[in-house]
Amino acid sequence: MNPSTGRQSGIDPRALWIVTFAFILTVTSFGKYEISRLTPLFLYPVAMTAFYGLPLKELGKRILLVLPFILLVGLFNPVFDRRAVLEAGGFSLSGGWVSFISIVLRSLLAVSSAILLVLVSPFDRLCLGLEKMRVPRVLVTQLQFLHRYLLLLKGEAQRMIRAHHLRCPVNRPKIPMEVASSMIGSLLLRAVDRATRIHWAMLVRGFDGEIRLQRPLSFSWARDGSFAAAWGLFFLLSRFVDLPGILSGWVLAR
Amino acid sequence: MSHHFLEVQDLSYTYPDGTEALKGLSFRLEHGEAVGVVGANGAGKSTLLLALAGLVDPSGGIVNVGGTILGKKTVGEVRKRMGFLFQDPDDQLFMPTVFEDVAFGPANQGLSPEEVSNRVRQALEDVGAIGLAERQSHRLSGGQKRSVAIATVLSMLPDILVMDEPSSGLDPKGRRRLIGLLARFTHTRLVATHDLDLVMEVCPRTIVLHEGCLAADGPTRKIFGDQKLLETCHLERPLCMQGECR
Repeated sequence: MNPSTGRQSGIDPRALWIVTFAFILTVTSFGKYEISRLTPLFLYPVAMTAFYGLPLKELGKRILLVLPFILLVGLFNPVFDRRAVLEAGGFSLSGGWVSFISIVLRSLLAVSSAILLVLVSPFDRLCLGLEKMRVPRVLVTQLQFLHRYLLLLKGEAQRMIRAHHLRCPVNRPKIPMEVASSMIGSLLLRAVDRATRIHWAMLVRGFDGEIRLQRPLSFSWARDGSFAAAWGLFFLLSRFVDLPGILSGWVLAR
Repeated sequence: MSHHFLEVQDLSYTYPDGTEALKGLSFRLEHGEAVGVVGANGAGKSTLLLALAGLVDPSGGIVNVGGTILGKKTVGEVRKRMGFLFQDPDDQLFMPTVFEDVAFGPANQGLSPEEVSNRVRQALEDVGAIGLAERQSHRLSGGQKRSVAIATVLSMLPDILVMDEPSSGLDPKGRRRLIGLLARFTHTRLVATHDLDLVMEVCPRTIVLHEGCLAADGPTRKIFGDQKLLETCHLERPLCMQGECR
């Protein structure tokens, strides 16, 4: 178990990829004014987070990073679409606002599923899963390199920030803009240098364009197949049956 | 057997900024020989090793590894024979777990998974890091990283071992284990280091680099006994010799 990311999944990465793709496909297939029928789909991230003991803070932090982009996508909808589509008790909501809320919800669902995918399985195993699913090796290797480069960039940035803070007289100092800009420049140069050295280390150990992992994947129909089938069934149900409608009808009838 | 020799003739290298790092170096290591490369910071030790592995293109000269002249077409062949340990273990470790990192080289040699696994276990046992096999490489301490980095090289069973500062970051027990390993390794060894005591114990012959030039090449004890040479090259006697009269 990784304390920072919770329990790692024993599910085959191919099953995880299939479920994630199916989830994103389901989420994006809803109409632009759909809100209530999206709500059952929140069960997937909630169940995965709870089952694998993932830290909500970590998940929340990562979602916050992409939130501005999500908001930006739907920002102009309320301006351009002012037609009232929802009226209740003298209060009306324009189509723009409904579609904006729908975009935000769908984006949050899609982004959280992608984050969960990376949190519950090591990235290299996910890449191996992609390779086994016949995704071109060139693409998979590029993904692996990109992942390593980002980790490397993060490590170098942390070192530089620590070095800066240690030479500042105040606790948790702010980095002035002119210093930050020069730090970003040297960060990129340092990251490229380190990436070059790592590439050399790979070359001297016989790297030929393929990263060969030693832990083979084993797809178990009982475990992985049923995992994918159960979630797939739930997604289909959520897409084609109005679960919130049925539930509210049932509650009102009682 | 003479196929594990290493010969360098008139090797030169100039960095893109114009700094001459190597200036016409020539030497030869015979099969099974253990040679230390010493010199002050910036003397050209690391650059020399990088040039031997074909990681930087020399501006002149020849590198001959066991009869194969190092060039663009032969660099793969040379690297199969040569195990290279980098100065910074963070450069050497790039896989998610220690096991995968040590297995990276043997897997690229086309060995079966069982053979790879055996090699990994043996190499990790040799460096005293078998307990780290399932750990994440980037979460190890500096000394543990160094031990695992050495294992990544040993697992490939190289004919020629080229190491850049192999003892840096190791605790005394780890260093002692490394000395034992290097002493047991029967093939050709080239060790660039500031750890002169390690050189005294492992390498009967020493090459001294100074400002990119070959300042001296000879028996280790004789080199470290030459006070004038050591002072010129910004070195000092190993601790084990400091009690001896100058």
